[in-house]
Amino acid sequence: MATINPEFGKELKKYGAFDFNACYNCGTCTSVCSLSTEENSFPREMVRCSAVGDEDAIKESLKPWLCYYCGECTTSCPREAKPGELMMSLRRYLTAAYDWTGLSGLLYKSLPVSIIAFISVAIGVIWYSASQQFEVEKIMHIGHYFEMFAIAGVFAVILLPNLIRMWYFVILKPKVKVPFKSYITSLGELFVHMFTQKRSLGCDDNQVRWFEHFILVIGYLSLLFTTVFLDWFSATNLLVIILGYVESAIIFIVTVDFVSGRIKKNKEVSKNSQPSDWFFVIWLLLMGLTAFLVRLFIDLKILEYNFWMYLFHWIVLAQWALLIVPFGKWTHFLYRSFAMYMEKLKA
Amino acid sequence: MEATNNDSMNRSNAGTTDYDVLVIGAGIAGEESALKLADMGFKVLLIEKEPSIGGKMILLSKVFPTLDCAACITTPKVSETARHPNITILTLAEAESIVKEENNLFSVTFKKHPRYVVENDCTGCQECETVCPMVVKDQFQFNLVARKAIYIPFNIANPRVALIDIENCTLCGACEQKCPSNCIDFTQKEELVNIKVKSVIVATGFKLFDPISIERYGYGRYKNVITSMQMERELAPTRPFNSVLRPSDGKVPDKIAYIFCTGSRDHTVGNPICSQVCCMYSTKQAQLLMGALPMADISLYYINIRAFGKGFNEFYMQAKDMGANYVKGKIGSISEKENGNLILRYEDIVTGKVTEKEHDLVVLSVGLLANHEITKVFKNEKLELDALKYIKQPDLLQSPATTSIKGVFVAGTATSPMDIPDTIMSAGAAASETSGYLNQWS
Repeated sequence: MATINPEFGKELKKYGAFDFNACYNCGTCTSVCSLSTEENSFPREMVRCSAVGDEDAIKESLKPWLCYYCGECTTSCPREAKPGELMMSLRRYLTAAYDWTGLSGLLYKSLPVSIIAFISVAIGVIWYSASQQFEVEKIMHIGHYFEMFAIAGVFAVILLPNLIRMWYFVILKPKVKVPFKSYITSLGELFVHMFTQKRSLGCDDNQVRWFEHFILVIGYLSLLFTTVFLDWFSATNLLVIILGYVESAIIFIVTVDFVSGRIKKNKEVSKNSQPSDWFFVIWLLLMGLTAFLVRLFIDLKILEYNFWMYLFHWIVLAQWALLIVPFGKWTHFLYRSFAMYMEKLKA
Repeated sequence: MEATNNDSMNRSNAGTTDYDVLVIGAGIAGEESALKLADMGFKVLLIEKEPSIGGKMILLSKVFPTLDCAACITTPKVSETARHPNITILTLAEAESIVKEENNLFSVTFKKHPRYVVENDCTGCQECETVCPMVVKDQFQFNLVARKAIYIPFNIANPRVALIDIENCTLCGACEQKCPSNCIDFTQKEELVNIKVKSVIVATGFKLFDPISIERYGYGRYKNVITSMQMERELAPTRPFNSVLRPSDGKVPDKIAYIFCTGSRDHTVGNPICSQVCCMYSTKQAQLLMGALPMADISLYYINIRAFGKGFNEFYMQAKDMGANYVKGKIGSISEKENGNLILRYEDIVTGKVTEKEHDLVVLSVGLLANHEITKVFKNEKLELDALKYIKQPDLLQSPATTSIKGVFVAGTATSPMDIPDTIMSAGAAASETSGYLNQWS
């Protein structure tokens, strides 16, 4: 027996803009969706679950993660109910539902809380740097370690438990029987989707969006690798230096395009931007930009007199690593690929 | 009678006396109001922009929920209208301007388009059609077949008189030579006629939704996707093929799909309301098809069935009992196979699963749209429209035929989508309100 939460609709509306009460269940959204299949038909089912408040069904469902938001359902909806935006809001809701700390939901639902959190992190970084008398080399050294520990810490304390919660909602609670062998044999699915997002190629809109996203992911992951493991800012190897430049430039260029798309609102996917979407693209853009400039300042040997540049980069990095990665939109990188993995487990 | 001061056009008188009522539009609503008023003794002028009176109903096959032949119901009414001593009919006539004067009379100017055939002399023998070299799409058969540039609109047209479609005419004169009654007259010109009337009934009807704007359905691209009006013609007694055929290859279809709510209840095409007739006319066509093609499977894809009128639900149940397959789910998209068959993709709402089905003919149950051009004709007082561009009824419950202008009444689908029984009632209401108004006059 499903438990209905009559307040669910109200709660969900805090995560995005849509009107599921307008839906008259014609199924146009589902039938125009090029990713919707006989086994996995959406988004109308999700609209229905949201309208009646079947919270458990939504938590159990992987369908929100199977949608890559081309917006075709929203433009075709005869009732202007915006099913595409509902799917987006469900992804935000699920991100919050998986998060054991509850901070994710707090940040998604409240812009003031998000701003306070971002300011607090910035103050923390400045205060720490001040306590070290703004000594460039020392702080850059610590910054490098911070990056490593932040990644490890966030993963171990936040993301891993959240993935386990996701597994609990999707597999364990609904008592889906999965043979142990499948957990190993399905791993391929996880990595393929994590690094290629190839499912979004099935979207009707175009291949450009997938390609942009793909090089952004590759650029981001390799920049992470270059700065953390190859220690880009202290590197002397010319190849490593150039590699970092290229990667940060790629991130910057692609995110400029994403940000301008969200400003112009010329595609359905970029029409409804929530604060969490803005934070994600802008901070990614700032990361690319500031990393590029910091290295440039190092190469021009002017960083010592322009310490603010590194400080700025570190603030952006800290906000990214402590807020957006564990609690914000970054998590879709994990949840989407794990959704494909769990989908395979269920099959 | 007064002529206009416009010297650039020929002028003529449109009758012998002033009229009590001008009825604009000679569809079933206009005819019904004109007849009722004429029976009460009022002098009526009925103008129609098409070359024949009868409106859309005269083109239909049968009517729901009784399955009476539409032509058999409407042609006696058409003849009665045409022969009534108190009714003057002008076809190919379009209202140009209507000005309400201080004495409460309406000064009406209308344009009389030339027929290029002397109406009183033409015998309707169709000899001219046999010699005309120009072949064009027949709009009264909804482009299923062709006609000539000189043509009789359709078999049961009234007046059953030829006209020349001058835009497609080469002026070769073949018809002029062939015509046994010498009634072809290329010298006819457009005329502007000015008359005075005491009241006006607007019965301008509706427009059909053109599904070409819904690209997902491929209408206009896929030959075997047709509109319900085209199917109506294929089923009518005066049908073009004398059988039901699909357009691409002339095959008799055996898996036919109906897509309900094409252009109705749809914000994306700007028409969010129900068209009120599509569920029922599709159900009617399904029954007729099951009679005409006993081996054919008919599937009807719907959002909700609205069978609200007298006998409608029974009619719907009857179609189901006859074997019509009603499927809950709106078609999302259609794709065409090489053999002309069509794949319909939809979510079956009962199972909640995306499903694809193949059909060899798809009928789009197109909706009704407001036809509001007439408002431009009213020059000094404004004929107001409602939010959906239908003619506004300021007092819907107590006086449904009243409009925003005193002395101007409205009948039929000019007010909102409605079926034929409702249209007849609406036209009756307009006639009785108009007679009340006219009786107050004297």
